[in-house]
Amino acid sequence: MMLLAAHNLSEFFRETCRFPGFWPEVLAAVVHAVLVAAFFGLPAGVFIWAERKIAGRIQDRLGPTRTGGRFGWLQSLADGIKLLQKEDLIPGDANAPLFRLAPYLVVVASFSAYMVLPFSDGWVAVASKVGVFLILALMSLEVLGVIIAGYSSGSKWALFGAMREAAQMVSYEIPMAICAVVPIVAAGTLDMVELGRMQTGGFWNWLIFHDPFTFLAFFCYFVCATASCKRAPFDLAEAESELVAGFLTEYSGMRWSFFFLAEYASMFAVGGIATYLFLGGWDIGLPIIEALGLKAPGASSASIYLANLIGMFVFLAKATTVVFVQIWVRWTLPRLRIDQVMTTCLKYLVPISCFLFLGAALWPLAMAAGGGRSHWGDPPAVRRLDSASAVQPVQTPLALDEQEGAGRRSP
Amino acid sequence: MPDVVGHLLLFALTGSLMLLIPLLIGKLIRPSVRSPEKDAIYECGEPTIGSSFIQFDLRFYTVALLFIVFDVEVAFFFPWAAVYGTAGQLADQRVPPAVAAQLTEQLASLPAGTLKPDQAIDPQTALALLKTGLVDILVFFGVLLVGFAYVWKRGDLDWVRSLARQTEHRQHLARTPTVVPPPEATRQESTVA
Repeated sequence: MMLLAAHNLSEFFRETCRFPGFWPEVLAAVVHAVLVAAFFGLPAGVFIWAERKIAGRIQDRLGPTRTGGRFGWLQSLADGIKLLQKEDLIPGDANAPLFRLAPYLVVVASFSAYMVLPFSDGWVAVASKVGVFLILALMSLEVLGVIIAGYSSGSKWALFGAMREAAQMVSYEIPMAICAVVPIVAAGTLDMVELGRMQTGGFWNWLIFHDPFTFLAFFCYFVCATASCKRAPFDLAEAESELVAGFLTEYSGMRWSFFFLAEYASMFAVGGIATYLFLGGWDIGLPIIEALGLKAPGASSASIYLANLIGMFVFLAKATTVVFVQIWVRWTLPRLRIDQVMTTCLKYLVPISCFLFLGAALWPLAMAAGGGRSHWGDPPAVRRLDSASAVQPVQTPLALDEQEGAGRRSP
Repeated sequence: MPDVVGHLLLFALTGSLMLLIPLLIGKLIRPSVRSPEKDAIYECGEPTIGSSFIQFDLRFYTVALLFIVFDVEVAFFFPWAAVYGTAGQLADQRVPPAVAAQLTEQLASLPAGTLKPDQAIDPQTALALLKTGLVDILVFFGVLLVGFAYVWKRGDLDWVRSLARQTEHRQHLARTPTVVPPPEATRQESTVA
């Protein structure tokens, strides 16, 4: 599995394969989309299995045990095959075109968020300078699909679920965005690859440990992210004990499962965002890569590739840990009531995030005015230059050959 | 920019195909046996009463208004934070000149490599920029916070807003907690209930 910076791959198509005109860009984009699609479908399957297994363990059960052998690890695939055979029902009173459209909107919104999510240093479909802003904007489009699903179902349960979801999502969007700004104030860039580079070289460089405000902002962000994925204890949109299945009431079979595909994918995506904003991106936590000199200036492209590969697994591990905590929280805490959900957001999380934001804004100024240094540790930008100079060799023809080989190996 | 838009379109297409293909495969193998019961809206087994296209509580409207005001504001925080964060690091005297030049290029939207290390913004100027940035955001954010405080004071953030419930709540708060034993008859009733 290999994701490359867009300009690298399109350059490769233009210079090595000599495709004319705009085709290099188009081909590169197709490769990115297909690679990310594999990455998008995979977590959904794995996390659904993990959720059932973890839920089982938390409730002192075994969870799936038989499908696929020892741990029931093929359970998600079996579920998928079963759902494929289910009748596709659209109620008579439903607005059929909108009813069909809703799952597409939800999945496209959370899938396109993966476009700007880097998997390692430079391994991203679009290395956007406004990556953080773009990914938050794309992920918040998901709510449109949920509202349309509930509204077009023609069922009162679905309508209530969708309206709750709308109120909840738009409220939690506010503290989530403000908490996302807090580490940006420390780092000074919206580029997710840059954010990752700034946090390399040990866990003390991670933005969560940058100042007390980023530390608190991480927890605030996590709560809001859980709510924005409509996960328990904030799953008021489904609330199966109150609203049958909320906005999903009239959905069945494959269409129903698409909402879950999107839910698990966006859980992973918010975990990825948290990893880049707070938890050090692809950094291992100890300066091992630096000690081995894998990415030192003048290192061979193979060792840079190896470092990036390790980085990808570290990033995946971190984002998966965030998802695991979300699953853990779901099976531990009871669901809130709708008024409690709204109070938690508007009367607690919004003031807390406003305080954190102001604190984060005052912090560098107070430090700089006091002692000529704006941060406790090294300013994050120092590390950016180091890694940027190490990444330069990627542009050489040798590195392009390396990328070509990697592209063939990927699924 | 065309790169982002092109990728977005292609990702939307791929995402749609991911849904379309299983649905088309499913179309070949799944049954389609319609009946009036299946076509009906699910309402816990009872026949459906009325339409679901009903009038809805206005408090959702207040939440949506609050969202628009806040979110438009927060959208402007992002560019501000990028500039402020860069200025904050330039104000640090330990930043090497090469990095400072890079940060200055970023701040001034210049192409990479156009500035020499001695052309970078010096820490004193960056500190002044930092102070200006803070005043800017305090005014910008302060106006929003005044509005937020007003909405809070007006009670628009309360989800439960029935007047009867509110007066009851206030009386409950005002009342001194004394234990009054209920009359015999009511106590029996309550145990029965």
